[in-house]
Amino acid sequence: MKREIVGKRAIRVDGHSKVLGKAEYPQDIQKQSMYHGKTLRSKKPHAYFKLNIDKAKNLKGVIAILTAKDVPYNHHGVLFKDHEIFCTNKVRRVGDPIAFVVAENEKIAKQAVEFIEIEYDEIPGVFDPIKAMEQSAPIVHKESNILYHYKIRKGNIENAFKQCEVIVENEYRTGMVDHAFLQPESGIAYMDENTVVVCASSQYPHFDQIEIAEALNIPTENVRVINPAIGGAFGGREDITLQIHIALATKLVGKPVKTTYSREESFLAHGKRHSMIMKYKTGANRQGKLVAMEANIIGDTGAYASWAPNVLRKAGVHATGPYEIPNVKVDSYAVYTNNPFAGAMRGFGAAQGPIAYEQQIDEIGRKLSIDPITIRKINGFKVGSETATGQILEASVPYIQCIESVGKALGLEQKEGIR
Amino acid sequence: MKKKGVGIGSTFYGTGYGNGFPDVSRAKAVLKEDGKVAVHVGATEVGQGSKTIMSQMAAEVMSIPLNDIIFICEDTKNMPDSGTAAASRQTYNTGNAIKLACEDLRKKVIENAFKELKLNSSVGLTLKNGEIYLKTLPSKNISLKELALCLLKNKELPLIGEGSFTAQTIEMDEETGQGAPYWPYTFNVYGVIVEVDTETGLIDIIKAVCAQDVGKAINPEMIEGQMDGGFAMGLGYSIYEDLGLKEGKMKNKNFTNYLIPTALDVPELEKFIIEDPESTGPFGAKGIGEPVMLGVAPAVLNAIYDAVGVRITQVPVTPDRLLRALKEERRE
Amino acid sequence: MKDINLKINGKSYRLSTNEDMRLIDVLRDELGLLGSKEGCGEGECGACTILMEGRTVNACMVMAFQTDEKEIITIEGLSNGEQLHPIQQAFIEIGAVQCGFCTPGMILSAKAILDKDTNPTREMIRQGISGNLCRCTGYAKIVDAIELAGKLLRNGGNNCEA
Repeated sequence: MKREIVGKRAIRVDGHSKVLGKAEYPQDIQKQSMYHGKTLRSKKPHAYFKLNIDKAKNLKGVIAILTAKDVPYNHHGVLFKDHEIFCTNKVRRVGDPIAFVVAENEKIAKQAVEFIEIEYDEIPGVFDPIKAMEQSAPIVHKESNILYHYKIRKGNIENAFKQCEVIVENEYRTGMVDHAFLQPESGIAYMDENTVVVCASSQYPHFDQIEIAEALNIPTENVRVINPAIGGAFGGREDITLQIHIALATKLVGKPVKTTYSREESFLAHGKRHSMIMKYKTGANRQGKLVAMEANIIGDTGAYASWAPNVLRKAGVHATGPYEIPNVKVDSYAVYTNNPFAGAMRGFGAAQGPIAYEQQIDEIGRKLSIDPITIRKINGFKVGSETATGQILEASVPYIQCIESVGKALGLEQKEGIR
Repeated sequence: MKKKGVGIGSTFYGTGYGNGFPDVSRAKAVLKEDGKVAVHVGATEVGQGSKTIMSQMAAEVMSIPLNDIIFICEDTKNMPDSGTAAASRQTYNTGNAIKLACEDLRKKVIENAFKELKLNSSVGLTLKNGEIYLKTLPSKNISLKELALCLLKNKELPLIGEGSFTAQTIEMDEETGQGAPYWPYTFNVYGVIVEVDTETGLIDIIKAVCAQDVGKAINPEMIEGQMDGGFAMGLGYSIYEDLGLKEGKMKNKNFTNYLIPTALDVPELEKFIIEDPESTGPFGAKGIGEPVMLGVAPAVLNAIYDAVGVRITQVPVTPDRLLRALKEERRE
Repeated sequence: MKDINLKINGKSYRLSTNEDMRLIDVLRDELGLLGSKEGCGEGECGACTILMEGRTVNACMVMAFQTDEKEIITIEGLSNGEQLHPIQQAFIEIGAVQCGFCTPGMILSAKAILDKDTNPTREMIRQGISGNLCRCTGYAKIVDAIELAGKLLRNGGNNCEA
């Protein structure tokens, strides 16, 4: 079928307003007689605390200070409700929100945050996910620090490794990283009769609507979320940050409340990419065909689960890379620590694995004197291939075509073959 | 000494929520009184271009210019829930919902047009370039604009098309992990040539190539933009970005010390868009937002090995880390 | 408190400023010129780039009192009503915009590059925008757009700033 618009060049529909500087991001929204909010965040990774807000409350220009006791339902989270909106008496990471000051202007709000007296009673923290899995480790939440375990059991790896001509074993590590979208979190909330209106950048406004309504204990239809222009997200705007804070505040004080994070607070407020420790054992026969693979993947989700089970599941499902391997054993774990919490970030658990499986296959090739392009073509997914989870890739599998395009562009095709 | 090496990083990526979780997108297409079509959909524009490519899909089905699509995706008050703008799912999942909604509206438009044109049936009527006409006698025609006005007069507006799409995934067995957790899968391959300075530990990318499977490109230029951006982010992940985490504290939490690539750090990327339509995708399209960054880090690491013969097993490969690895290798 | 005179996008302003007020605060909060964005507040990201006396500066790093008697151009001063500046036109044409948050600052850095030389090399362009971070585009299409803008300017695309 001949197509007129799909597949063709088209000018970005939001381009005009963006080049004019007219696109409205949350920080650009101003309201008459609005108040400004500022969050008090934990400076300790694992501690009980006591709070005294009296001095801050008496500061001229301070309208209200919200803490845990001002929240009807003090829990949120995309999968488990393991975040508190404001910590009640324990912090689990540096950056945990504890209180939210509403003041006449930003300067006073900032000052009042400094005036809040907080007494920490530090408890041992755990920062290494391997240590966190041990019985004796400090517990971050209620039970075990291991919050998820995904398994693949396909074929028989013990027998299969025995038949391998070459086996490569290695451990790989990746660090936590930040989305670093250019627009720091900002939002403004106001009342429209008895509806709470929240304008903030979000990847999923309908989910925010539910979480705000739950926290405020009001019907979902009394919450309206408006998503203005968004300055990048990359997964970092999946978990809610300031939306509930400003919604609570405006409901309490009746006037619009705005808050805008600094870059530093942005780093403290949203999730990170999971750091992973990946142990791999990969075996192939003399012809370079992968026969068996065993992977043990530990993902550090920090102080909160966010999407950890889904992320580590995705890491497990993708652990083989785009290769047919008949015998596979995978164990992937998501583990709580007192590190910054990790959640969704572009790649979502499938960004770490390639650092392991792609080096493994190169090593296999090197040991068998097979070049990187050929070893991938020998093993790569094609139409009809079966994945490690037993799924048949029945169509649209142009992996070999991708490999060939890159090989050709790099001038590698002459070097192809078994040396 | 400067040493050159070449490396490949190849990956696959299952898009969507996955593992049997209902992955639902809803969309509404509304004929307005001026003949334009409003698409209401809860698909967030985060910069990836969803607003544009989804408007293209709607314009294609309705056969009207792109400018005649009014895309509404900002307010929970007037858009249905289409799921999150994540998991590289909007093009495939919500794209399908929009296509269905517009096909529904298109059908309704044609049904109404045959009444207005006083024909016996809607058979043989088609909608093209903003006109509904009889293929065998094109003089029997009415424009979308005229039709909208007639319907407005008869109080038959708004005319609404609705669409809902749910991706097919199956929950995996808890003990064996067997199942069909994602669909569709997208493939991505990077190749890079690096130059490693063995004295300073600095890594220079001198050539970079990316081949991205897209199913079918809805907007090739925007796919290139995603590839360039994914490459830069992947490069940051490979050699720059480090939070400096110690005892739960981030040392690097601003742009002075959390280094993301600048225009001087990102080389030109040679890009190949690979089309192999996905039969269940809208016009054959698959999601690419995440896949575009996956192959970068392994390609860089494999290229470093090719250059200096040392396997770096940890990212980011900071100069410090690289020099340490080189030293250890020499000692061994 | 200090009174300052400054010219922004061809228009003269007289303002009283506080000691701790930055130029970005003057632009955004006092004058409602919201096109300049604040991405880091420490002169690293370039989202608040504006032209002062024809040179790029980060508006978050300039104190308001330092702008007395200075001439400033912001993104709002580039277009002429609906008529886009050739750089803006080129950014749209090439697809150099994604989330758009870096775009205003990027366009002003582009203007500084092209004011000096309408036919810069790609390396000169990269150098010229190296103080402007972008997390979406990988810069490639931005470099392309600035090249195209140079071409438009050389071909007499009228510079339509106020």
